[in-house]
Amino acid sequence: MTTPAIRATGLRKAFRSTDGTPVVAVDDVDLVVQPGEIVAFLGPNGAGKTTTVDMLLGLTTPDAGTIEVYGTSPADAVRLGRVSAVMQTGGLLNDFTVGETVRAIAALHGRSDRVEVVLDRARLTDLAGRRVEACSGGEQQRLKFALALLPDPDLVVLDEPTTGMDVGARQEFWRAMREDAALGRTIVFATHYLAEADEFAERTVLMNHGRIVHDAPTTDVRAAYGGRTLTFRPPAQAVGPDGIDADWLSRVHEALAPLGVTDVDVSAASLEAAFLALTAAPELEGATR
Amino acid sequence: MSTTTLTDPRAVDGVRPTPRPAMATYARLDLRRQLRDRIGMFFVVGLPTFMFLVFGLGSDDPVGSGNVAMYVMISMAAYGAVTATTSVAGSAATEQVMGWGRQLGLTPMRPVAFVVAKAAVAMSVAAVPVVAIYAIGAATGARGDWSDWLLSGAVVWLGSALFAVYGLAVCLVFRGHNAAGIASGMIVVLAFLGNVFTPMSGFMLDLGRFTPLYGYVALARFPLTDGWLPVGGRDPLWLPVANVLAWTVIFGLVALWGVRRSRART
Repeated sequence: MTTPAIRATGLRKAFRSTDGTPVVAVDDVDLVVQPGEIVAFLGPNGAGKTTTVDMLLGLTTPDAGTIEVYGTSPADAVRLGRVSAVMQTGGLLNDFTVGETVRAIAALHGRSDRVEVVLDRARLTDLAGRRVEACSGGEQQRLKFALALLPDPDLVVLDEPTTGMDVGARQEFWRAMREDAALGRTIVFATHYLAEADEFAERTVLMNHGRIVHDAPTTDVRAAYGGRTLTFRPPAQAVGPDGIDADWLSRVHEALAPLGVTDVDVSAASLEAAFLALTAAPELEGATR
Repeated sequence: MSTTTLTDPRAVDGVRPTPRPAMATYARLDLRRQLRDRIGMFFVVGLPTFMFLVFGLGSDDPVGSGNVAMYVMISMAAYGAVTATTSVAGSAATEQVMGWGRQLGLTPMRPVAFVVAKAAVAMSVAAVPVVAIYAIGAATGARGDWSDWLLSGAVVWLGSALFAVYGLAVCLVFRGHNAAGIASGMIVVLAFLGNVFTPMSGFMLDLGRFTPLYGYVALARFPLTDGWLPVGGRDPLWLPVANVLAWTVIFGLVALWGVRRSRART
């Protein structure tokens, strides 16, 4: 039995909003990630992804519950260089060059030997002399990725890593990530580009309102809400300002029941649809499962 | 690629050497970044040098154990050093708030080491105007006892550390991109009030005695003037000492409060 890369139990974190009322950002989250897994975190803004990531990195202490990274506390795992991250809110210094930024952070990791390696990995060698402020959003994102690779971590956490990248840059980024995953790195990433989760992650964790709504292999997530979908247009008189008339809908149910149709209101052919269904209407979860 | 072996590098579980942050390398890169900032260095070195040349050059009238050129030289070096520590400390606070702090939080570096590195950078930058203006002064006729040179230089350089605390405090209170600019801008006002640029008299002098730059500059000039003011009258040694101590406590408390407040938000 190997030590899991991440083991979180009963994780909880609340913040005080500006008017003083507490807001629960993460609510009773249990999660185990094995070494070498590639896991996508999906969820709308405010779902608790970034707070979970912060606790994973020891930047925020949970109010309740425990979190271990490779069997140690997140802070120790960071100190040992076993975990690193590309953060959504992590900043860069505008007046450093790309090369200086990498060298500065490499020095703090005590890994000045890896400067050339990560510049090459993130395809930044040609940009090493450029000022950070002169770099495009995608180039800055690649620089953050290079910084994350400096300690040669076993676990990389990516929070919205492709923000600001165009399609080409995004594809190139994921190509580099795939190469790294092949070396056995554990990768956890939060994204709202569902195609990325679909294409890249073996496992998808859907979060909403601070809770894990669904946790399964990505193919299962799609399959569970996928299949073929039949779409039809209801008659105009059945559609009111509040949606479809309930009586009419129950007659549709009755009419379709002999044909073996069990559910008429949720139809999802893609992961995107599953995502929308699960996050927009969490009360449907019990019904569809 | 040289460090990546063909066998699975993750197979060995748990045995990693504890990394040792190379703080000197980080501080050197950070120092180079500060010195490269042309606009910032203009206010730290260029402006005080220019003012020394305008107000102090060739003024051979006697002051205490030296001359007016020496008096102006000490004042302008102090202004440059204070601008340096204020802006370095201020930008350090802003960097923390703007997200670089989160980047640093993911390294094995401890916060104390960061403070020490920043302090080293601030004091190195502060040494630049002191050395430059004292060198120009020495070459253009500033005159005083050798102990005046040594003691005033030491007070100017070491005393500027107080304004690192000031810069930190201001930037923690006024958060955001322009906080460091506010801190440096206020230094100009405080320099006028603190009797740094032009000799003041009457009510403005009485008021100025309570402002933070007054004590520091008066202390730096003390070896030369023995407390005598250009407009007549004499400050006893305890006055600038009390001023510096009081402002050290005030800036320290405000900075501490600012740190507490910024922690509470996360």
